[in-house]
Amino acid sequence: MLQHGPLLERLLAGDFICRITDEDAYRHLSLEQTQQDINHYLRPLNRRLVSNDDQSVYFLGYYELSKEAREQLSQQFAQTVQSLLPLLEWLQLVQETLGRDSALTAGDTIKLQEFVLRTEDNQSLRQRLNTLASDRFFNSQSEQLDSQVKLIFRRLKEHGYLLQPHADRQYYIVTGKIDYLIDVIRFIRDEEHLPVEDTPQQEALL
Amino acid sequence: MAPLDLTPGIASNLFNTGAERLALLGKYHKQLMQGYLDGYVDETAFSEGALKKLIAARILWRPDEQQPLALRPLVSELIASMVADENRRQINADVAEKLEQIRNRVQAYRDAQYKGDYAVAELQLQRLTEHVHDLSGQFEEAIDSLWHRLNSDFGFVSSLDDKIRENERAQKQLRRLLDGLDLLDFTELIELSEGNNHLRKLLVSQLQSQLSSHHSSLLEVQKRLVELLAKFRQQQSRSLLISNMVAFLRQHPKYQPADYPNRSELPDLFNQACAIRPQAAIALDKASERQILAELVRALPRQVAVTLSDTPSASFSELLQDEEIAARQLALKTDVENFYLRVIDRGGSLSALEYLTEQQLPWDSEIWLYQILAEYQALPVDEKQMFALANEEVKANYYNELMLIQDINITLQGYVNA
Repeated sequence: MLQHGPLLERLLAGDFICRITDEDAYRHLSLEQTQQDINHYLRPLNRRLVSNDDQSVYFLGYYELSKEAREQLSQQFAQTVQSLLPLLEWLQLVQETLGRDSALTAGDTIKLQEFVLRTEDNQSLRQRLNTLASDRFFNSQSEQLDSQVKLIFRRLKEHGYLLQPHADRQYYIVTGKIDYLIDVIRFIRDEEHLPVEDTPQQEALL
Repeated sequence: MAPLDLTPGIASNLFNTGAERLALLGKYHKQLMQGYLDGYVDETAFSEGALKKLIAARILWRPDEQQPLALRPLVSELIASMVADENRRQINADVAEKLEQIRNRVQAYRDAQYKGDYAVAELQLQRLTEHVHDLSGQFEEAIDSLWHRLNSDFGFVSSLDDKIRENERAQKQLRRLLDGLDLLDFTELIELSEGNNHLRKLLVSQLQSQLSSHHSSLLEVQKRLVELLAKFRQQQSRSLLISNMVAFLRQHPKYQPADYPNRSELPDLFNQACAIRPQAAIALDKASERQILAELVRALPRQVAVTLSDTPSASFSELLQDEEIAARQLALKTDVENFYLRVIDRGGSLSALEYLTEQQLPWDSEIWLYQILAEYQALPVDEKQMFALANEEVKANYYNELMLIQDINITLQGYVNA
């Protein structure tokens, strides 16, 4: 177990482990034996390893759902629901600003400067960013584009959606937690039968 | 193409015409390339003679009376293949026709040999070799084009929908190529080459090894195309999901999903435990580690002890050696003491500066205030509690929080309480 010490520490701290955040750890976690070892170790702490459907990201959940655990989960869920719209809007904004033809996925790189430059000259993007930055989730007080963008990216880094490989260089890599976010949305949509399509309409195919 | 007679008599004529016309391509390379990009050629860029020559050389043509001059499809195709322009590159998947030609050539070659006409047989064998290479080259070109498209992630079209369409088109081409490969029947080729070493080498050993390597390449490409298409579709559905969900949440700002965390069957996605941060401290119970710990302690940066001089407030007058200054200092001290006594006598609040002017004392107001504070600080704790100091302060500067004391009001605490 000693070899997984740093990994366990990260997991216990609430980190999401994916191919981007820690490739070695992710590879270890994909092994059935390691999963069992870790679960066995975590049992007295009332924790167990959880992953999303396609096993692209791992994190810790409760082994037994005590009353306290439920309370904590409810609180967390409320936060997640609250953060859905700002996160999705950010995804959309980045996709449109950078002129990408598809949504961001794990492993994509975003250069902060490029994002700022493209937003600067476009009044509507500027306006949308402004609204987004002042959302409760990002909670920016600033009027300056540069500091708004920096704050947004810093908050996303804190929440584990982005990774900044070099602290002094302003570029970010999207982590596997984005996959988790998409899975959450898909789950809610399926559970609640929301009228939210994700397959192209027939005429779009023709 | 115009049918060309292959009799040896005009072979040199053929050579000259061909060389001349190929030179035309080089001579007008810029205009022709522009024509390739625009889809038509700018007739004003050529002289009338040049245009005639280019049309005669079947490099340019006018598809319709009303249409401008354009490159012949074969020339466009040549350029597309040379620059690997995947938008325009064509894949020729027609194998049946080539096979037919190979059969015919083998027959002609055998007939010529039978007649003992070796010169003709040699020529036929050469044509046959060309056809065989052609067939193999056709697959090679197609595979090269497919790999090129794959490796560039279909980057030559911009939108995801176009990429998906291009990928589907490539998969169809690939299927036709594989069907074409199936048409090649090696037992037939073995029969065709029976009893002739040249033919066996050409049609069986060489062609077979080439085609089997093409076959495995094609299968690899197919696998990759299918994977890529799945990726494209996943990206597409993700983009759609995001934009549709945003639209939904905007329309329903108060939307609240069901309470999943309190369901009896908690979905794994929402089982996200709160963080535990493991802490550790130095343990002294292992004798073996003491040495290391001692070293760690020794390595700690040591704080240089700062010897603080005694608070100068109450006693600095005694430090001064100069008699005159000491006398002044003593006078100031006495005046301040008198001020405190006055406070006690009066019982109410007293302003330090008012007292100063009232008594017409010679002290600078700043020194006076300072000494009052110093005297106050020097009092024993229980006596200090008797007095309440209220500073009248003014901000020194707009930009920071530095406050300047302008005056001090002293109140006898006991009096107020009583």
